[in-house]
Amino acid sequence: MQKLLLFVDKVSTFVGQTFSWLIVTLTLLITWEVFSRYVLDDPHAWAFDVQIMMYGTLFMMAGAYTLAKNSHVRGDVLYGFFPPRVQAGLDLTLYFLFFLPGIIAFVWAGYTYAAESWAINEHSNITSEGPPIYPFKTVIPVAGALILMQGIVEIIRCIICLKQGYWPSREEDVQEVDVDKLKAMVHVKDEDIAKLDKFVVAQDHGGARK
Amino acid sequence: MRKEVWFGLSLMAATVILVFVLMPPPSQMTNGHLGLLMLAMIVVGIMLGFPTAFTLMGMGVIFGWLAYRSVDPATAVPRVLDLFVQRTYGVMSNDVLIAIPLFLFMGYVVERAQLIDRLFRSLHLATARIPGALAVATIVTCAIFATATGIVGAVVTLMGLLAFPAMLKAGYNVKVAAGAITAGGCLGILIPPSVMLIVYGAVAGVSVVQLYAGAFLPGIMLATLYIGYIIVLAAWKPQLMPPLPESERRVELPSWARAQARHGSNALTGLFRAARGSTDANLPKRTAFGQLLVALLPALFIAGLLGVTYRMATAPEVEVNTAGLIEAGGLVAAPEQEREGSSTGLAEATEPEEKDAGAKEPAEATSDKSAKQPPGAAPVVEAKPTITVAEEKARLAVPLWLWIVFGVAIVGVAFLYFGWNWERFEVFKMLLSSFFPLALLILAVLGSIVFGLATPSEAAAVGGFGGFVLAGIYRFIGNWRGARGGVAWKTAKELGTIVKESSFLTAKTSAMVCWLFVGSGIFSAAFALLGGQEVIERWVLSMELTPVQFMILAQFIIFLLGWPLEWTEIIIIFMPIFIPLLPHFNIDPLFFGLLVALNLQTAFLSPPVAMAAFYLKGVSPPHVTLNAIFAGMMPFMGIQVIALILLYLFPAIGLWLPSVIYK
Repeated sequence: MQKLLLFVDKVSTFVGQTFSWLIVTLTLLITWEVFSRYVLDDPHAWAFDVQIMMYGTLFMMAGAYTLAKNSHVRGDVLYGFFPPRVQAGLDLTLYFLFFLPGIIAFVWAGYTYAAESWAINEHSNITSEGPPIYPFKTVIPVAGALILMQGIVEIIRCIICLKQGYWPSREEDVQEVDVDKLKAMVHVKDEDIAKLDKFVVAQDHGGARK
Repeated sequence: MRKEVWFGLSLMAATVILVFVLMPPPSQMTNGHLGLLMLAMIVVGIMLGFPTAFTLMGMGVIFGWLAYRSVDPATAVPRVLDLFVQRTYGVMSNDVLIAIPLFLFMGYVVERAQLIDRLFRSLHLATARIPGALAVATIVTCAIFATATGIVGAVVTLMGLLAFPAMLKAGYNVKVAAGAITAGGCLGILIPPSVMLIVYGAVAGVSVVQLYAGAFLPGIMLATLYIGYIIVLAAWKPQLMPPLPESERRVELPSWARAQARHGSNALTGLFRAARGSTDANLPKRTAFGQLLVALLPALFIAGLLGVTYRMATAPEVEVNTAGLIEAGGLVAAPEQEREGSSTGLAEATEPEEKDAGAKEPAEATSDKSAKQPPGAAPVVEAKPTITVAEEKARLAVPLWLWIVFGVAIVGVAFLYFGWNWERFEVFKMLLSSFFPLALLILAVLGSIVFGLATPSEAAAVGGFGGFVLAGIYRFIGNWRGARGGVAWKTAKELGTIVKESSFLTAKTSAMVCWLFVGSGIFSAAFALLGGQEVIERWVLSMELTPVQFMILAQFIIFLLGWPLEWTEIIIIFMPIFIPLLPHFNIDPLFFGLLVALNLQTAFLSPPVAMAAFYLKGVSPPHVTLNAIFAGMMPFMGIQVIALILLYLFPAIGLWLPSVIYK
C-alpha cells in the first residue's frame, strides 16, 4: 500500500516539478521581451498571451505537487497541537465533505469547458490572430484530475493514520525554510549556537542579582 | 492541554455562539442568513486545519448550488459548474497575479545568492559608531534583504544565525536582540516589491503600481521608527546595548593603505598623491588609479544625478496628448484625478521619455484618461494648457530650487570627502560590494514599476534575472577565494541547484496562493449570490458609523483575524467583504490597502502565533525562551501600532507619492 501511495506522490511531484521549470522560461521570456521592446524596438504581439498561459499552467499543474508535499496553506492554530488520530479523523471528514464535491465539480466543469473550446477551435482574442487557447483550457481538467488522484491518496493516508496512530511517511522535498541548509550557507554549526548559551545564562544571573 | 489549544478552541466557540445568537430560527432563514452562516463556517473550517483552498472550493460549490436551486432547481447544477470554471479561468488568466510567481522566484534566487553575511558585516562596520550599532545594522540588513526576498522565515532564520550570536557576544540584552531580528525580518511584507500588495491589488482592483508607490514611504517610516527607537534606547540605557569594543570596530586596512595612511589621514588626497606617483609606497600606479576611481564614485554619482535633475527641470515643454495616455491598472481610487482630468483635459509633462513610457504601458486599460507629470517638474512648471504642437524648444531657465539643490549637493560631497579617511574608504568599498548592488536591484525594480517603465510582472522578471546574475557573481567570488581550480564549473553547478530549488519552491508557493484564489473565486461568488454581502452592508450601515469608527472597527477585525489566519487567507477571503463597504464611507481603497498591509504586519509580531518568534527560537541557544522573544517583540509591535496611527492621522505619508507621480 505504502508503495502505491508513494508512487502517486512521485507522479504528482514529477508533473509539478516538470512544470515548475516554466517559471525559468517565463522569467527569460519576459526579460527578452523587455529587451526586445526597448532596445531592439521589436515587440511581439503573442508575448502577452504566452506569458499568461505559462503562469496559469505553472500554478495549476503544481496543485497536486503542492498537495503531495502537504504545502497547501492550512489554519495552524489548533491542527498542529492535535494528536495524529484526531488530525486524520478531521481531515478524513473534511475530505469527504468539501474536497471531493469541490474537486469533482472542478474536473467535470473543466472538462465541458475545455471540450467546448476544442469544438469551436478557440483562439485568444487579446490580439488579432491570437494563439490557440484550447490547450490552455485543457489544463483545468487535467490539473483537477491530478489533484483528485492525489486527494484519494491523502484520504487513504488518513485511514492508515487512523488505524496505526501515526502519519505514514512522505518523500522529502526542498523546503522554504530549511534550517540546516541555511546554517551551512552562513557557516554556523550547532556547537556555535550551544556555545552562545553562556552569554544568555550570564545575563539571566546578572538580572537576578540586580 | 496547551494554552494555544484553549485559545483556538475559545475563538472557535465564540464564532459558533455568535452564529447561534444572531441567526433566526431555521424556519425564517433567508438566503442572506445562509450567506452569513457560510462565513461563520469558513472561519471554523479554516481553524480545523483543512487545506483552506479546498474548504473554500467545497463550500463554494455546495452553497452556490443552494443559491441557484432556490431560483430554479432544474438548472442549478450546470449553472454552478459554469460559474466555477469561469472563476477559475479568471484566476488563470489574471494579468495582475502573474507577477506573484515572478516575484517569488526573484526572492528565492536572491535569498540563495549568499550575500547576507557580507551585507551584515559591512553594515555592522558602517554603523559601528552609532549607539546600538549591531541592532541598527540588523534592522537595515533585514530591511534590505527582506525587501528583496520577501520571505519572513528565511530572513529571520538567517539573521538569527548571523546577528543574534554577534549581539549576544557583544553583551546585548537578549530581548532587545530578539526584537530587532523579528521586527526587521517582517519588514519585507510591507516594503514593496511585496507579494502581499499584489494580492491585495488583485482582490481590491487597486492598481499594484499605486500600491507600491504608496507603501514605499510607510515602509521606510516604519524602518526609521525602529532604528530611532533602538538608538534612543541604546543612548538611554547603555547596559542593554553596550558600545562595541575597539576590536570589533577596527577595520582591517590592506598593507598599501596602511602605508599611505602614515602620510595623511585623508584617503582622497592620499590617493591623488599616490596616483601622481609622488609617494614611494609599494603601490603600483594602476592600483592607485583604480582605487581613486572607486573613491570618486559617490561624487560621480551625485554629479550624474544632478545632471539628470538639470535636464528634467529645464527640459523644453512638450504638449501631451492625453487621449493616447492610459494609466496602467485600475484607478479606482482617484476621484480627484478624474475631476482634474475632465477639467483641464490637457496637462503638461516635461519629459518626452515619460510620455512614451506611459503610452507604451500595455492595455490594462481603464477608461480614465489622465495625464501624468514627472515629480521633478511639479514645482517648476505651472499646468497651463498649451495649444502648441510638440516641438523642440529652448531650454527653460534654471529655477532657484535647482541652484539650492546644487549647492546642498556640492557641500554634501565636500563634507563627505573632508572626513573620508582610510577606514571609511575601506568600509565604503565593502558596502559597494554588498549593500549597493542589492539596493540598486530593488530600486531598479521598484523605480521601473512606479515610473511606469515596466509593468510589475516585467520588472519582477527582469529583477529575477538580475538576482540570478547577482547570485552568479557572489557565488563565483566566494568559490574563487576558497578553491584552487574549476571555479567556473563549480559556480555553474551551484547556480543550477539554486535555480532548481527556487523554481520548485516558486511552483509550490504560487500554487498555494493561486489555488486559494481559485477556491475563493467560487466561494465569494456563492456568498454574493446568497446575498450575504447585502446583509452585511445593511447591518454595517444600520450601525450608522462615522468613517473613523468604521475604519477603526475594520482594522480591529482584521487585526483579530490576523491571529488565527494567515495573511493570504485574510486578504483573499475577507477583503472582498470589506472592499464594497468602502465607498459608503468615502474611503480610498488604496489608503485602506496601505493600512491593511501595515496592520497585517503587526499580526506577524503578535503572540501567541507570531511566526517570526518560532523561526528565531529554532536557531537560538536553548536558554533563550520563547517568552523572552515575545517580550522583545512587544516594543516593536507597539511601534507598529504607532505607525498605523500615524499613517491614519496623516494619510499623506502613504498617498503623497502616488499623488505626485500619477497626477
